[in-house]
Amino acid sequence: MTVRGVIALIPDACTSCMLCVRECPTWCISLQAHPEQVVDEGARRPRTVNVLDAFAIDFGLCMYCGICVDVCPFDALEWAPDHDYGAATRAGLVQPMERLAAWLAPP
Amino acid sequence: MKWVTSPPASAYRLAGDLGVRVVVANLGLACCSMEVEAAVARGLLVPDDGQDPESTVLLVSGTVTDALAPAVLSARDHLDGEVVVVSFGACASTGGPYWDAPTVTKGIDQLLPVAGYVPGCPPRPEALVAGLLDVLRDRP
Repeated sequence: MTVRGVIALIPDACTSCMLCVRECPTWCISLQAHPEQVVDEGARRPRTVNVLDAFAIDFGLCMYCGICVDVCPFDALEWAPDHDYGAATRAGLVQPMERLAAWLAPP
Repeated sequence: MKWVTSPPASAYRLAGDLGVRVVVANLGLACCSMEVEAAVARGLLVPDDGQDPESTVLLVSGTVTDALAPAVLSARDHLDGEVVVVSFGACASTGGPYWDAPTVTKGIDQLLPVAGYVPGCPPRPEALVAGLLDVLRDRP
């Protein structure tokens, strides 16, 4: 459960399914991905997978409802305890994938 | 309609020796103000003692509607000296959950220059202190 912290991302678990982006009440998540073909030995045709290019949460808009955490089918979004991420500019509240991933401290 | 002429603000100082002498005027407009009160209750902020501050912060905590916008400007004008405006919480920063509401100001930076933003809905009291220190230490 939340400690009233921040929402972190596990990029490797994200399949770019867009569920969190579409369910967010404030539309504060942005996601960019592109499809790539994976050729498996012996398969009839290549597999298509989505590769995550960019993921950002605008914490100026986020209402910390946790719906994105709940709907993620692969648990790629998680609550993290950090709270000190203020910014001097409006754009500084938008946290990119690297920062979101860094919030999850190794256990 | 007549607007408030004196700010409905309560003044605090940062507790402890954090290297900054600041008066925080809390313009509490909605639930974020509860977190400012929580910071007071936990001793992170103490009531203003009237000494001359290095900086004066106008902390806008809560939803600003377009109808209320003149009151925010009035609050700034009623504080002495140079006023550093800090936006506390999602509503004051961007409109937050009310991003789609026609009557809500989409961030107080549409009204006046903002020196710092503290994200959260609402932010924790610790985030308030950290945000204030960030703003004040970065100033020349």
